[in-house]
Amino acid sequence: MSPHLRDAAGAATLAAAGLAAFWLFPEDLGLLTRIAATALYVLSLDLVLGYCGVATLGQAALFGTGAYAAGIAAVHLVAEPMVLLLIGGVAGGLIALATGALILRAHGLALLMLTIAVTQMAHEVANKARWITGGSDGLSGIAPDPVLGLFRFDLYGRTSYLFALAVLVVGLLVAQRIVRSPFGLACRGVREDPLRVAALGGSPRRYLIGMYTISGVFAGVAGALTAVSTGIVGLDSLGFSWSAEALVMLVLGGAGRLYGAIIGTVAFMAIHHILAATDPFHWMLFIGLFLMGVVLFAPGGIAAAAERALERAAGWLRRAGARA
Amino acid sequence: MQTVLGIAIDGVAYGMILFIISVGLSVTLGLMRVVNLAHGAFAMVGGYLASFAAQRLGLPFEAAAAGAILLTVVLALPLERLLYRRIYGSANELAQVLLTIGLTFVVVAGINYLFGPTLKRIPLPGYLEGVVELGPKAIPTHRAFVIAVGMAAIAGLWWLLERTDFGVKLRAAVDDPAMAAALGIRTERLYAATFALGVGLAALGGILGAELLPLEPYYAIRYIVLFLAVVAVGGAGSVFGSAGAALALGIVDTAGKYLIPDFGEFFFYAAMILILFRWPNGFFRRRTA
Amino acid sequence: MTGRLRAILLGAAAGVAMAAAPAWAATVKVGVIGPFSGPFATAGQTFKQAVEVYQAMHGDSAGGNRIEFVYKDLDQANPAQSKALAQELIVKEKVQYLAGFFFTPDALAVAPLMDEAKVPCVIFNAATSAITEKSPLYVRTSFTLWQATVPLAQHVYKTGVRKVVTAVSDYGPGIDGEAAFKATFEKAGGQVVDSIRMPLKSTDFAPFMQRIRDSGAEAIYAFLPAGPTTLAFAKAFADNGLKDRIKFFGPGDITQEPDLPALGDAAVGITTAFHYSRAHDSDLNRAFVAKHKEKFGNADTVTFTSVGAYDGTHLIYKMVEATGGKPDGAKAVEAVKGLSWESPRGPLKLDPDSRTVVQNVYLRVTERVNGALQNTEKETFAAQPDYGYKLGK
Repeated sequence: MSPHLRDAAGAATLAAAGLAAFWLFPEDLGLLTRIAATALYVLSLDLVLGYCGVATLGQAALFGTGAYAAGIAAVHLVAEPMVLLLIGGVAGGLIALATGALILRAHGLALLMLTIAVTQMAHEVANKARWITGGSDGLSGIAPDPVLGLFRFDLYGRTSYLFALAVLVVGLLVAQRIVRSPFGLACRGVREDPLRVAALGGSPRRYLIGMYTISGVFAGVAGALTAVSTGIVGLDSLGFSWSAEALVMLVLGGAGRLYGAIIGTVAFMAIHHILAATDPFHWMLFIGLFLMGVVLFAPGGIAAAAERALERAAGWLRRAGARA
Repeated sequence: MQTVLGIAIDGVAYGMILFIISVGLSVTLGLMRVVNLAHGAFAMVGGYLASFAAQRLGLPFEAAAAGAILLTVVLALPLERLLYRRIYGSANELAQVLLTIGLTFVVVAGINYLFGPTLKRIPLPGYLEGVVELGPKAIPTHRAFVIAVGMAAIAGLWWLLERTDFGVKLRAAVDDPAMAAALGIRTERLYAATFALGVGLAALGGILGAELLPLEPYYAIRYIVLFLAVVAVGGAGSVFGSAGAALALGIVDTAGKYLIPDFGEFFFYAAMILILFRWPNGFFRRRTA
Repeated sequence: MTGRLRAILLGAAAGVAMAAAPAWAATVKVGVIGPFSGPFATAGQTFKQAVEVYQAMHGDSAGGNRIEFVYKDLDQANPAQSKALAQELIVKEKVQYLAGFFFTPDALAVAPLMDEAKVPCVIFNAATSAITEKSPLYVRTSFTLWQATVPLAQHVYKTGVRKVVTAVSDYGPGIDGEAAFKATFEKAGGQVVDSIRMPLKSTDFAPFMQRIRDSGAEAIYAFLPAGPTTLAFAKAFADNGLKDRIKFFGPGDITQEPDLPALGDAAVGITTAFHYSRAHDSDLNRAFVAKHKEKFGNADTVTFTSVGAYDGTHLIYKMVEATGGKPDGAKAVEAVKGLSWESPRGPLKLDPDSRTVVQNVYLRVTERVNGALQNTEKETFAAQPDYGYKLGK
């Protein structure tokens, strides 16, 4: 099966699964909408971490900037949801470009700390600029217009979810094209061996900044999507723990595969939801053990484990077929 | 002038506390190449054990502190054997980050379960209470004590790493494990010993720093960015670097908060960003990685 | 589309079932959103315990309708998640009332949902005045920063202090407290010589102490969120020798009962203004605390969030009675406007305008009684309304 066909099949599976969830869980659409928007956010992290090898704890800065940009625009300027997503994406991309150009010179721990510092500073700016961001009270009063002028954002979350699902599927398709393009391949080259890429005449830093910017656009759209569907933006969207959660979800699902980001998000948020309802107090213990378990026993995350299982099953079937 | 002196002394005192708590992380990160985000958890465990020993068992401060440090190391050593050993090496950075975050969560949940969510104190002995007059400026005696311990720690660690057999072997094992092993150096024992040193320092930091960073179950998560900042700025593995970084950050933070308290947070992170720009590997480049 | 079809079918089935079955009182569900895990889990715990104590003292039905409480965990200020949880409670659990809310942003987030689904919300804690302005269906049984600070500022002036420095944490409630104190104190004729806003994440308060000393003030008004920051601040205040020179005033959040053992001697002498002290001298309060001890083994966690939840539950019972257990948000809120009752903290009345309870604010001093620290009430400022409601509008 050609890679393009596989990509399309993947996106189609996602769309089908999403619609099935819509049918099966009509009363949980709020949760499902959050999962879809978060999946897009984690997907953005996969672009830099999985495909460029850049370890960052600053993705929340990009997400939050997009969310606040869309939120502020919604309150003061325009309430058309598509335009809001565009605004969020542009804001996220610009911040990514500006900060990426500055900090992507560093590596390892220094880079990690710089991404954390950028996020903390963005958090402080949002906190201090209370007159426009609402500060610690959050930015409320975001009332988006109906999608395409027809579908109103209502209490039951039907429009929110289908809108978010559509954006996620489109996002996945775009991300797939990007990572298969020459640019995407070059980025993967930088992850494997930056020296060689430089020797071949490319500029590793330029590729990294490029992909970081694209990741910023995706994260910004995810932030805007969250703002539009929930109607509110809080300071926590610029928080360190939000960055860390994205990292956890991505590694859980398996980095470097795009669909791993989606699987990881669904798994993490579903488990959190179930555990929070039954036993909120010991949530930390479970997630800690889970993380340790994944690192020690399933290093590639759920996606890698699934792939290994599939390979083993395929091999077993082949042998069974050969014997028959 | 009095104000400048006051800020300088406060900044140094704050910096020294940061140093004491973070130097253990510098040791594990720099000398063992392990991004140990559970460092805060070990500091917290040390603090909690000391608090328990002093308040519930009624032990005097010195005995409680010593006992707590020892017990924390004893509890941590099996973890080194079972968990950390599997993820050594700079190729495994992400795995280290995630494993240690997971460990931190487990420790936080455990402490919450055992000791409850309220704040815990470590009662200070009489000679550490009150204030010490340094001319026109008075600082709490406790902080002066921390400055003294900090300087002793710097001297002690430097001597250990530069002037003893242990230090030479450790640096050899880190630079080139295969060669060191070929020469008969027992690398696993060295790593275990260094880990113990790092954890012991963390516990000491947690106990001494409890006056500034109060003990509660979320301690380990709340302050990990702070510790990482000191180590990143100072250069992992360099004791002098960590001390320098801690002092620099402490003074900048204190001065900033005094002058423009509204923007207090910005100073710390701005300082960190500027320093990391100029010296991406920290003040004292010990390793190129 | 499919949802509507399904709803119609279910509705028809329910209608048939209802017609056939004898009419009995349905269960009224209340959704409580609060921190049941995380750093603020004790507050959520006090919510739950207080609700259970109320049920133990008054039964679990009102007007023949059984009331069931559903708890959802929200461990920090996360308005998007607050809205999602409220949505789930309304759509899936079909609650008639929302309750709880420890943090202001979490309470603010659910306003659009409340208005669309016509579900009233009883605030057990969140203390920013502006919340009840956002929807006519909010009622609040806790307090607001303005309510506690205005009488305190007036008192500080009366004690002869003329120069005060304010030091608050740089977030919503802190800024509210600073504004309230400044406005009231300056109106009385005093002077606020310096207004310090401290970053929420501060760990070292020495530079702020230095600034406080340099300001030349006679007293300080401080507000920090309950927890490690308050402990560090109070300790730094004592450690830097300020305790003997400058009088310490603030709202009662800073000396809440669960934190007192850790604060220790650093807390003695702090003067606070607040609506509830566990040491309040009334029969109802003693019974309230005793019931906690009986049900849960000890009463160490009883604090202002407990009475907020207790009285909130009282309002919910009254609202259910008034509507006969049927979902009618506007009618419920109308029915309790102006309601007066006796609470473990003192007499209460729900202000029909601001929908926050009008209550006594007590001046307390933290002192050691029989070996344990407590907030002893020294003076009463009767019937304080929410001064911050619709300020300047």
